[in-house]
Amino acid sequence: MLSRVAASFYWLSRYIERSDGMLRMLKINYASSQDTVQEFTWEPVIRIFSGRDEDEDESAKLENNSRAVLKYMVIGKSNSNSILNIITLARENARGVQEHIPKDLWQCLNEYYHAVKDPRLEKSLLRDDPISVLDVLIKQVMLYYGTVEITMERGEGRSFMNIGKYLERAIQSVDILDAKFGSVSDNPDLLTDTSYWKHLLLSLGGYELYLKTYREGFEASNILEQVVLNNDFPRSVIYSVNNIQRYFDRLKNDSNLDDFREMSFRIGRLQSRIKYSSVKSIEQEGLHLFLTQIRTELYGIGNSLNEHYFANS
Amino acid sequence: MQESAYFDKYNPINGVWDEMYGLDANVRDHYRKVIEYISGESADDLNNKEELAKRLFMSQGITFTVYNSGEGIEKIFPFDIIPRIITAEEWAFVEKGIKQRLTALNLFLKDVYHNQFIINDGIVPIDIIYSCPHFLREMYHLQVPYDIYVHISGIDIIRDHDGTFYVLEDNLRTPSGVSYMLENREITKRLFPDLLPQCGVRSVTEYPTILYKNLLALSPRQIHNPTIVLLSPGIYNSAYFEHTTLARLMGVELVEGRDLVVNNHKVYMKTTTGLQQVDVIYRRVDDEYLDPLVFNPSSMLGVAGIMGAYRKGNVAIVNAIGTGVADDKAVYVYVPEMIRYYLNEEPILKNVPTHQLGNADERAHVFENINTMVIKKTNGSGGYGMLMGHAATEKEIEDYKLEILKEPRNFIAQPTISLSAAPCYMQGELQPRRIDLRPYALYGPDGIEIVPGGLTRVALKEGSLVVNSSQGGGSKDTWVLA
Repeated sequence: MLSRVAASFYWLSRYIERSDGMLRMLKINYASSQDTVQEFTWEPVIRIFSGRDEDEDESAKLENNSRAVLKYMVIGKSNSNSILNIITLARENARGVQEHIPKDLWQCLNEYYHAVKDPRLEKSLLRDDPISVLDVLIKQVMLYYGTVEITMERGEGRSFMNIGKYLERAIQSVDILDAKFGSVSDNPDLLTDTSYWKHLLLSLGGYELYLKTYREGFEASNILEQVVLNNDFPRSVIYSVNNIQRYFDRLKNDSNLDDFREMSFRIGRLQSRIKYSSVKSIEQEGLHLFLTQIRTELYGIGNSLNEHYFANS
Repeated sequence: MQESAYFDKYNPINGVWDEMYGLDANVRDHYRKVIEYISGESADDLNNKEELAKRLFMSQGITFTVYNSGEGIEKIFPFDIIPRIITAEEWAFVEKGIKQRLTALNLFLKDVYHNQFIINDGIVPIDIIYSCPHFLREMYHLQVPYDIYVHISGIDIIRDHDGTFYVLEDNLRTPSGVSYMLENREITKRLFPDLLPQCGVRSVTEYPTILYKNLLALSPRQIHNPTIVLLSPGIYNSAYFEHTTLARLMGVELVEGRDLVVNNHKVYMKTTTGLQQVDVIYRRVDDEYLDPLVFNPSSMLGVAGIMGAYRKGNVAIVNAIGTGVADDKAVYVYVPEMIRYYLNEEPILKNVPTHQLGNADERAHVFENINTMVIKKTNGSGGYGMLMGHAATEKEIEDYKLEILKEPRNFIAQPTISLSAAPCYMQGELQPRRIDLRPYALYGPDGIEIVPGGLTRVALKEGSLVVNSSQGGGSKDTWVLA
């Protein structure tokens, strides 16, 4: 497979996964903003998902205005990480590999793109029920994943897609945990605020699993355990890293053993780092420090892919 | 026969050949079934069909992007739902004519890049060849496989007021539009279910198969599974959709210049498992940008060293480099002579009478009758830089004349030709609009094959004679009857 094509698969998939995470996060946060008597702050969402070098004044202005945040995050042209901008990038990547993806998948991406571009969307986002709008877009992502599952050839391309998907997902879960637990250390009252934890779980789609696993109510350490260490939770960090490894292993090929070994080493190291941690050990060394290390390792994997597989060295 | 309301309201243009409206004021036989079919449909039904066509083009991403004001705007190539129909006899004539013309043009290319008999015998003047910017000395005495230069051509055919076919221009470099021939047919199947088999329309789906077979035959390495690639300038090229369609239909790799690298006079592509040798390149990048070491040094679209690999015979390039000398509009004038010279036959398809402005007498004649002339640049395409004498203002004409006088060899003039008209669906009724025809001929070791069909371009603006998509043109599905 062409290196450029592999890179496009990887980025296509990262962007779609990112849009999925963002849409869910926005939906839950909006619902949560309707459910509180205090002023609702969007600051963590903006911090996690908008481009990091954004103008700080602008996001400060947005913080408490739900509609303005939604507009900025979904269709904001100036926000390099808005749904509109990342789906455009996803589509450009797909366009460059059109002959490698099933026609159904290309059509599905086109529809997603046109749904975001639709001028009626802006109007409903600002005037009607935003949850319906976000639901329409979330459906588009589900349609995408369904189409990939049914039509995509089980080969190298899909492996690169899955590596991208799980890398993005792991980074997202790490970022969300870091932001949410960071707010707690600034404001210890949140520790006992059940709706705070409930919304965190809902935005990761892990609420129901949590209720089934833990009977004693919301405990920060249980949430940490589920999101970092639970192998059965599809958005946990360990689950994502295991899948990166699983799909990376399929790329093994006699003609590039050196590149393979180097990458395999990195992924294995990260996997062990998480696997042989416990909530206790993480709390001892400090959650923020732990998450920062994991994030650095994840970025490192992205960089080595670039160097060894995408011919961008 | 009971005529439909659509037909009764139809006003053919005076003095223009109409593909549907016969001289006896009746529907021509070959259009009858289609007219019957649509007369059973209300204007609402037809509007819905038009809407459906637009939606299908949009959701399949059959769009080109216009980049301005920093934001990409997606546009579809306008499509008219009423097919253009060609009878079996008409097609047989056109097909024969194109085969003859293409054979002669290919022999001409071999000749000008080798012994130049045609120049020495005084058939084509030497200055016409050597002043052509597309005549590439780099190709001199370079052997191409099977002596085929023009593997893919799109020769533009038009019809005059009496229905006679003429060749308007020969596109022998990287003619585009064939994906629209294929897609228009797919859309038409959806718009008019069952109508195609009832009318006996010949299929065009063989095109990618034939092209692939020809590309495969050109591989310099005699191995069972040579690597064939389609080289595209990238996603910002207006024909990118076509490149992906063809790559997908043939199952070949779509590459960009940055995916290829030359080592030891061999071309390789960069893959996730290292370098893989490339045998055949169907390139959609112009000669000028193909190799920065030999041609335009600032080109980012090509591959450094690819000409060296080509000269060594380690890679086949389709179309061959330097074919532009044969579709130059100043050389066009000599094509009937070439056919007589190389084949000892009379040309089947006529040329449009053409004046070369490099010749002082002809120039004077053209300037006197400029209102009845169309003036074109010899190396122009896409309908850019043309002067339509009958529609231009006094000032435009004067400015254009000054430009001609700077470099008269670069201009030709043709009398305004009356393109034939075909019915188009416009706001609830049928109206005549001017059309041309571009069939795609594939030249391989087994000879020339032309899929029965082509791209019919249509000037959608009322009264317009310019069919180019960049100038407000659209397209129609093209039916060749069995």
